[in-house]
Formats: sequence, structure tokens, C-alpha cells
Amino acid sequence: MSGGSSLLVPVEDSVTLRQTVAHAVGRARDADGAVTLHFVCPVSERPLGGEDSAVAGEAEELLDRVAVWADEDLGEEPTRVTVETAVVGADVYLFNPGDYADVLVAYARRNDVDTVVLDPEFNPLGMAPLLPPLERELEGAGLAVELAPVDRATRRGPLTRPAGLDQFALLFGSTFGFYLLIAGTLTPFNLATGAVTATIVAAVLRRISTQGSVELGQLAGRVARMVVYVPYLLWEIVKANVDIAKVVLHPRLPIDPAVVEFDAAVWSELPATTLANSITLTPGTLTVDVTQRHFTVHSLTKGARSDLLAGSLERAVRFVFYGRTAMRLPTPAERGETPDGSVDGAGTDEPEEVRSAVERVEVDADSGGGDE
Amino acid sequence: MTPTEIAVAVLIAGGVFFTFVAGVGLLRLPDVYTRTHSASKSDTLGAGLALAAVAVTFGADLPTVKAALLVLFMFVTNPTAAHAIARAAADQGIEPWTVDDDESGGGNE
Repeated sequence: MSGGSSLLVPVEDSVTLRQTVAHAVGRARDADGAVTLHFVCPVSERPLGGEDSAVAGEAEELLDRVAVWADEDLGEEPTRVTVETAVVGADVYLFNPGDYADVLVAYARRNDVDTVVLDPEFNPLGMAPLLPPLERELEGAGLAVELAPVDRATRRGPLTRPAGLDQFALLFGSTFGFYLLIAGTLTPFNLATGAVTATIVAAVLRRISTQGSVELGQLAGRVARMVVYVPYLLWEIVKANVDIAKVVLHPRLPIDPAVVEFDAAVWSELPATTLANSITLTPGTLTVDVTQRHFTVHSLTKGARSDLLAGSLERAVRFVFYGRTAMRLPTPAERGETPDGSVDGAGTDEPEEVRSAVERVEVDADSGGGDE
Repeated sequence: MTPTEIAVAVLIAGGVFFTFVAGVGLLRLPDVYTRTHSASKSDTLGAGLALAAVAVTFGADLPTVKAALLVLFMFVTNPTAAHAIARAAADQGIEPWTVDDDESGGGNE
């Protein structure tokens, strides 16, 4: 439009956004001729309340911030850089990298943009990696794509982990065993196809599905304790189901829902996942969110809440993953977690014996937490 | 009726009961979180009991193993799905219903 070149910078609230803005501004200033900088914020959720929805509001706020940063970087001297901001994608539902690429390309076409500068942490999809497919799509549409050089390393760990023969053997064994179990017979045909399938699965997935080294002794111990845990969990489920059935069928519907937040005394991914799923399986409590050790749980009744904080499930999960010594840790209630969600001095002011017990288990957990 | 048939009938009845409770809960409970409680959990036990009836019917045979595996997968995937729904609701900023809402809003039932 302006005759000069234009840069498109998709923005999202990320730790490296500030540096990306600085880089884009610097690049625009060093270029010959007039440059228009377009900062666009793809609205990544379906707006619920029309144009005034909170998501769109947050996007506008973010863009205002970016515009202020850009002004700051441009300084006082007159430059031939124009800054424009826009929210895109508010009228469509952005679901995958292709959707993001579509709205960005459409914006680029409308505004004569030839180059896209990407923030390395730009990832509005949250979990799935967006950047590589987005780059490919944008390049396919004839745009030049560059990543802003930023100091901060990305905080995501690599998806794959080094894996050797024992990971391969474990994965091969379990896949082969499962295949034969489903097949139900040991005919040569099943054995052959099963072996081929298991080999492919183990070869492709061994870097992803296993975590850390495989210690057969520890694994066997966990499986054995899991066998004890499952009937206990089943019994808890039945008991709680009867309670909930009473509440649901009661004419007055005596529910008292509330959200409880607490820090669970479990470490590493697999135990936390097991505990979260066990909490959800037990009727009356529903895990809403887990960040590291911090659990956000929605509970249906007061009884379910106090059961949760009495910590029998948490204790049982610790028993499965860390052995019997870890069972003696105090319950969430004893650690000072209260049902109304506030935490009286837990965390920083844990009593000394709790703290040392927690650290002991933490050391155990670090030595081989969560292989499977 | 043989003891096996009685066991199967009891298990099926239990399964039907808890699945029914899940349906009632879905209709009666006030908001997305409480309904997720009902839809995901009572259902797990209901389907679990039905599959247990299948296992008892077939006895020590391959279908029993498969039924057990089905229960296992359901116990892993069901809470995961419930968690995904609840978390999506929380991410959308939906506030959980509380007893206070009921008093001010005049009641849902």
C-alpha cells in the first residue's frame, strides 16, 4: 500500500515477545525506504460474547502494549517506519496451524506484506507445536519467513529422549504381549505379524514413550504395588458412587460445589497423572487443572472435599510410586490445606519434619521418577 | 437360576442403576462442572459393572480378558476426557455454580 516493504509480526503473550518486537523494529529501521510494521494478534479462541468478549479485549490490550514498545524502540527521531496493529481471526475458529496460516496470509495479501517475522515462542495452540507447520504453510503461500533471534532458550524440553536397547526391549515386549493377547492364539501368522508390528512400534516410539532409564526392579515393584492399589481404588469408586447416587436422587439435591486448590505431595509426571485421574475417577471430585504439583479440583459435596483433603488417595498413589516409606507423609489437611481453597502457610512454612520427609521422597523420585 | 446367572443379573442391574443415575444427574445438576461429575463418573461404574457381567458370563476365557482390558482403558480415558472438559470450561472462564447462586437466582429445580 505504501509502496515500501511491509513486515508482518504475529504476536501472542510470550516470554520472548518483547525481544521479538525489538528485533522487528530494528530490522524495519535499518531497511531502505519506508517500512510498515504490522503487529497482528490472531484471536485463538471462539469469542463467546460477540466483539466485546474478554479474549478480544485481551488481544487489544496486548497490541496496545506492543505498540508502546515499538514506539519506545523507534525513539524520538523521525523514522520512515509506520506501526499498525490488528486483531485477526476473530470471526473464524482457529483450530490448527493451517487456520492460523490462512488468516495471516489473508492479512498479508490485503496489506502487501512480503516478510513474516515470527516469535520463536509464538504458540497460541498451547500444547501442539505450531511453529514448524506454520512456517511451512506461510512459505508455501509465497511469504518470506524468519525467526526473531531471541536470547531466551525455549522452555519446552525436547519431545524425544535418548533411548537405548532396554527401552526398545520394554516397548517391544509390552506391544508384542498385548498384540498376542488381543489375537488370542499363538499361530505362526499371529506371532510373525505381532513381531513385525511390535518392532515397528518400538523402533518408532521408543524415544517418546519411555522416560529415563528402565530399572526392572523398580518397575516390577511399582507394578506389584499397582496390583494392590487397583482394588483399593475400585472400592473407593464404588463407595463414592453410592454417595453421589444418593445426592443426585435426593429430592432436594443437597449439593454444595466448590473448587479446592492444594499442593499434592507427589512428584514427576506419571504419579501426578495417576493421582489426577484417580481423583477424577472417584465421584464427587473432578480434577480441573494440574500445574506441576498444584491441583485444582472441583468437588460436588462437602464430604467429597474432606475425603480429598484427608489424602487417602494421595497416600495410596505415593505408595505405588515411591514405596511404603512415602506413605507416612502428612495428609493435605495436616499440611495446612483448607477446604475453602486458601492455604494456611503451607509451602513456605511447612513444619520441619514434613519438609525433610518431602525432600527425602523428592530425592527418591528424582533418581527414577516416572518410567513406564 | 444358577449362581452365575444371579451374579450376572445383579451386575447388570447395578450397571443399569448407575448409568440411570448418570442420566438423572446430567438433567438435574446445575452447571457444566457438576454435570461433568455425573456424566463421567457414574457412567464409568455403570459400564464397568456391565463389562463385569460380560466377564462373568464368559468365565475364564479370552472375551473376559478383553472385557477386563476394556474396563482398564475406560478407567484411563474417562477421567482424562472429564478433565479435558472441565479444564476447557475453566479456560473459558466459566465460574463454577455455588449454593449462593441458587439462593440469589431463585433455584434451578
